[in-house]
This record gives sequence, structure tokens and C-alpha cells, in this order.
Amino acid sequence: MRSRTEPSQGEPSRAAGALARYLPIGVLLLAWELVTRLGWVNPFVFPPVSEILLRWIALIGDGSMFTPLKDTLWRALTGLAGAIAVGVPLGILMGRQRWAEWFFEPLFSFAFPLPKIALIPLFVQWFGLFDLSKVMLIFTDCLFPLVVFSYHGAKGVSPIYVWSAQARGASPWRVLRRVVLPMALASVYDGVLVAVVVALLVAVVTEMVSGGSGLGQTMIRAYRYGDVRTAFATLLTISLIGAALYRVAQALRGRFLSWHVGEA
Amino acid sequence: MRYGAGANAVTALERIDLSVDRNEFVTIVGPSGCGKSTLLYLVGGFLAPSAGELLFEGAPIRGPGPERGIVFQRYSLFPWLTVAGNIAFGLEERGMRAAERERVVAEHIRLVHLEGFADRYPRELSGGMQQRVAIAQTLACQPAVLLMDEPFGALDAQTRRILQDELRRIWRRDTKTVLFVTHDVEEAVALGTRIVVMAARPGRIKEIATRDFEVREGEELEANPAFVALKLRIWRSVKEEVDAARSAGIPL
Amino acid sequence: MTTPRRTWLGPLASVAPLLIVLAAWQLASAAGALPKAVLPALTDVAKALAALIGSGEIFPHTLASLARAGTGLAVAVVVGIALGIAMARMRVVRLAFEPFLLLIYPVPKPALIPLFMIWLGIGDFSKIAVIALGCLLPVVTAAFNGARSVDEVLLWSARARGVSERRLLWRVVLPATLPQIATGVRTALAISIIILVSSEFLSSQEGLGYLISSYGGVGADDSMLAVVIYLAAIGYALDRLYLAALRRFMSWHAFAH
Repeated sequence: MRSRTEPSQGEPSRAAGALARYLPIGVLLLAWELVTRLGWVNPFVFPPVSEILLRWIALIGDGSMFTPLKDTLWRALTGLAGAIAVGVPLGILMGRQRWAEWFFEPLFSFAFPLPKIALIPLFVQWFGLFDLSKVMLIFTDCLFPLVVFSYHGAKGVSPIYVWSAQARGASPWRVLRRVVLPMALASVYDGVLVAVVVALLVAVVTEMVSGGSGLGQTMIRAYRYGDVRTAFATLLTISLIGAALYRVAQALRGRFLSWHVGEA
Repeated sequence: MRYGAGANAVTALERIDLSVDRNEFVTIVGPSGCGKSTLLYLVGGFLAPSAGELLFEGAPIRGPGPERGIVFQRYSLFPWLTVAGNIAFGLEERGMRAAERERVVAEHIRLVHLEGFADRYPRELSGGMQQRVAIAQTLACQPAVLLMDEPFGALDAQTRRILQDELRRIWRRDTKTVLFVTHDVEEAVALGTRIVVMAARPGRIKEIATRDFEVREGEELEANPAFVALKLRIWRSVKEEVDAARSAGIPL
Repeated sequence: MTTPRRTWLGPLASVAPLLIVLAAWQLASAAGALPKAVLPALTDVAKALAALIGSGEIFPHTLASLARAGTGLAVAVVVGIALGIAMARMRVVRLAFEPFLLLIYPVPKPALIPLFMIWLGIGDFSKIAVIALGCLLPVVTAAFNGARSVDEVLLWSARARGVSERRLLWRVVLPATLPQIATGVRTALAISIIILVSSEFLSSQEGLGYLISSYGGVGADDSMLAVVIYLAAIGYALDRLYLAALRRFMSWHAFAH
């Protein structure tokens, strides 16, 4: 094991540890508050933290944050679910069948560097200005990490596991289901973690660009009316939801991969 | 059974002509890169020969199958299954009922002396225990032939000795045909009724020796002069190959 | 057990599926199965692309876009590497900057585009700034993690040969961290293009994103798709160029790319 160059912390208690982690952020927020109150920064551009928080609480309280949040969330999750349903089997197929790999890998490789949001106008034309075009774009964007991670996961299953199963009479289908899938699951789940972040990001961006409803749209509208506090409050909601989704996905990982010991 | 296999794309093996009879314990020993594992995988049906034929009981080998079970050196156990689950894996293929499966699993756990560990996961077991499970899971499928690819190679010397004795005991009891690959000359001589010495680059059979003395259970082989003599002979044979390769500048 | 006959087939083989898809596209359009309203024929798109390139119209936009992304990326890489390594080696720096990075981390950077536009105007500067911010995180994280995990043994070996702390940083820590930084920069490269296009969609007078958005807006689908494909090709080329440059300059490190 390589040793680290970082000096050890030696925290005596967990409370002190938590304090140490959040204190600097608190200091930063405090500095933000002071800087805006003192007028060093234009409060029109950067409202004080306290006012943002108050607005945020107000918006949550009167329920006006609820509908955009719901819209953004269900779009992101629907697109994600579709991408998992299509992308994971496709990736695994690519990892186990030469022909699938030959055909799809270059396609995904080539399309990967293109920001799929460049397709927003096209998707709007195909699917309309509202939910479907956004969900389809989220689906497309999430497809990539899911396919890539599943592909590498399935491809990287040690042949010994496969041979061991085959030498005990397992049919190709059984080998896939009972050996390849569990072994590839760790990598697949890494893809899911990436895709979760992408889903929310793309949802927000499409809403910013093509309107309709949702948190992205709320934020843009707030900026247009000069209502910076609401804009920041919406930004806060977006960040919180993003962080929450990721945490949930991470926590679920333990459930699906309880036997996983890191590298097999 | 007759195995007459040919060379592969990078001439891993050349002009192999070997036939193994029922209930023989054939050990294959040689320096690294002599293709002994390749030969085993060919017999297992995981690789296809580029020339020649492989026959099992007169019929050509077309792929892996439960009649030729294999035990690998590492990664032989599925990490997400318990010991019992791993042993039961092949049994479900045969449509065995749950009760029957349990019986067979229990029987094989007893066979390898792992009572009480049925519900453990591979990561909770030592290397030696994992290999016991690997052997048990392969035997549970009742293969006619047992292929073993340096199964004790990753274990420490003590555990290796113990498992060698175990394996001999199991073989005596059930008398299967065994094809056992190893780089350890002592292991090859201690276990094999016939010892195949292979040379490297290209892989070919150098010589085949027959063990002409019996090994009694619990015997201390070091004290057996016949064993020591045979071991020395095989050891010299293998060393010749290693030296030849080294002088030819081939890294081993 | 290598199969050498695939080596020449390599580059050829990867183009083939693409050609198949393009051919299928053209066939479907020609056969009338794909109406123009849904997707223009490949030939139309190709013609539009040829026109854009031939007339030179696409170049100022390409330049504008690349300049924005490039500048933002460059700033992020330089600042990110310096900051990441400094944070790994000096507690004070880490304490000062970590909260900011942690706060920024969960915010989707494209969502900051309007803010930056209010703050820094709707011109290039705001776009470059938000691209720089978006690219900063992967680079800082990579540099930080890489510098933190520099093998202690390497450092002791250098110190024992009388290397000063400053030179240590430059001659040992940086090279040892480069592989990880390289990966972080590759991610940042992809991010830069994403934020670039987003910002150009939202507000711009020129650039490839602007072209896509405006062509799409007036229904000039063939020109729009021409620019999309052009953009995809540029993104692909940049990524490949980056990997090639890495292999040249970092041949000492085994890249599994």
C-alpha cells in the first residue's frame, strides 16, 4: 500500500470532525453575507445569503417551488429509467458479443464528445416544446455513461468465471444472467451514479433553453424579471436535489452490491 | 480417452500426442510458457486447436461441458454466492430438486472437510479453504475427468501439502481421471501416476514418466527413496529446459 | 494469445459502422421512409455543410466558439493544477479554498450561465468565465488527488538527494501527478464544449451553438444538422488529438486508453 503525503488529522471526536468540515463553508457564507451587506459587491448580482435563504424558505413554504421541482424531477428520473432499461442491456451485449461491440462501440465513441444538448432544437422539432423533448434528451445523454460502463463491466469479467460456469454445464443464457451480470454490476452501478448527475443537469439545461416548466425555467424567468433572490433560491434547490439524488444512489449501491469487495 | 492436439496461432503447442486412460492421475509439469495450461484449456474445450484433434471417449471435444470439470488456481468462486451456493451452482443446471441439491451440497462439503462453513462467503475464507470449495463445486457435477490448473499454486507450502493429501484421498475414493497441471516438480511426482514433462517455446512433450511405486496414505514421501529418485530425475529434466531457454535468451 | 490480423483492420473497422448508419440514413430518405420534415436527407445536409465551409461562413463561428472554450479551458487547467497541488501540499491553501469548491460542486455549471451574464455582461467574458469555472473542478480534483497520493518513497528519495522543497514540487510532485491530471483535463475538455454550447444557446451573436440554435429556429434543418455534425467531428478530433498528444508526451506512463 502506498503511503499518503497528507499528515494525519487525529480528530478526537466525530462532532469536532463534522465541525471542521462545515466550519470553513460557514465562514465562506459569512464572508459572502458581509461582503454583500457592506456593498462591496453589487447586491443585485449577489444578494446576501440571508435573503436568499429567506426567499428559499418562503418559496418552499407557499408551495410555489413544488410544481417546478416535481416537473424537473420526474423528467430526470423518467429519462434515467429509460436510459437504464436500454443502455445497460446494450452495454452488456456489447461486452459479450463481438458483433455488437464492433457495431456500437465506434458509434458511441464518435457521438460521445458531441454535447447532446446541441440536439435540443432537433428534439424540440420532433417531440414538441414540452416534456417529451426534454425526457428524450435526458434519455440520450444518460445513455452514454450507462452503455460505456456496462460495456466495460461486462467485457472485463474474467474468463475464468465464465469457463468455470460453462464447465459445470451452464448454458450461454445462464452464464450471462448468473455470472456476467453480477460481476458487471459494480461497473454498471458506477455508470448509474454518473447518469444520475447527468439526468438532473440535462433536465435543468433543457428547461433553461426550451422553457415549459421546471426548475430551470423558473430560474431563467426569475433572472429575466430581475428577481435574483428567487433565481438563487431555485439554484439552491437544484443543487440540493442533485446532491440528494446522488447520495440516495450511493446509499442504494450498498444494497445491490453487498457482496462486492472492491476488485474481484 | 485420447488427446492429440496441435499448435495454436502463436505456436503455443506443437505436436502434442497424448492419450490418457480412465482413472489415471496424469500430472503435467514444465517451465513457464510451455503451454501446459493451454493444453488443459484445450481439453476443457475453452480453446479450439488450430490443427489436430481432441477426443474424449472417442468423440471430438466441441466446447466446455460438465463431463470435464475444471478447477482453476484463482477466481474460481463466485463472490456473491456462499460456499453452499457455489457448490450448488452446477446442480441447478441439471434440474435437480432443492432437497436433492441440498443433499449433494452437504455431501461435498463433508468431502472437503468444510462442515460449518456452508453459509460463508468466499471473501471470508482462506486461500486453502477457497480451493477446497473450488474442488467440491467441480466434483459436485460428477465429471468424468477432473482438470486442474495449478490449483494449489497460490497457497503456502503447508496448505499445499494438506490439500495434496486430500486430493489423493478423494481420488482414491472416487477414482476419477485427473489431468493436473503444475510447475512444482515435487507436487507432480507426489500426485501423478504418470508424469508428463513439457518443454517450452514451442510447447511440446519432452518425456513421459510412469510412477512405479505406490503412495500409501499418510506416507512421508521424503523418506521414500523411489520417490526421491524419480523426483530428481524429473527435476533435472525440467531444469534442462529452463537452462536451455535461458541460454537462448528467452525470458521466462 | 494475440490475433495479429486485426491491427490493420482497426481504424477501418471503426469507421464502418458509422458508414453503415449514414448509408441507412440516406437510403431511408431516398426511399421516402424518412420525410424531410422529420430529418433531411444526408445529401442535403452534406450540401449544406459544403456550402457553409465553401463560403467560409462557418469559420468565424468556429473560431469564436473554439476561442471561448479554449480560453476557459486553458485558464481552468493552469489555475486548477496550481491550486490542486497547492491544496494537497499546504493545509492553509486547502482550508481556504475547499469550502468554495465544495459549495460549487453540486451546482450544475450551465445553471450559472445567466448569473455570469448578469455579472459580467453578455459578451465573451462571461462565457469564458463560466467555462473556466466548470472546467476548474475536474482539474483541481485530479491534481489534488494525484498530488496527495504521490508515493512517499519518491519524495524521500528526492529529498535524500538534496532537492529543495520548491524543486521537489516542480520536479517530482508535478510529473508524478501528471497522469491523473491528464485524465482530469480530458473530462474538462468535454465539459468545456457542453458549457460552451449551452451558453451559446442561451445568448450569443456568433459561435457554433448560436448557428445551431438560429438555424433550428428558422427551420433550416439541413444547415442546422450540418453544423451539429461539424461540431461532433470537431469534438471527436479534439479528443483524439488530446489522446495522441498525451501518448507522445507521456509515453512513460501506460495509458489504458
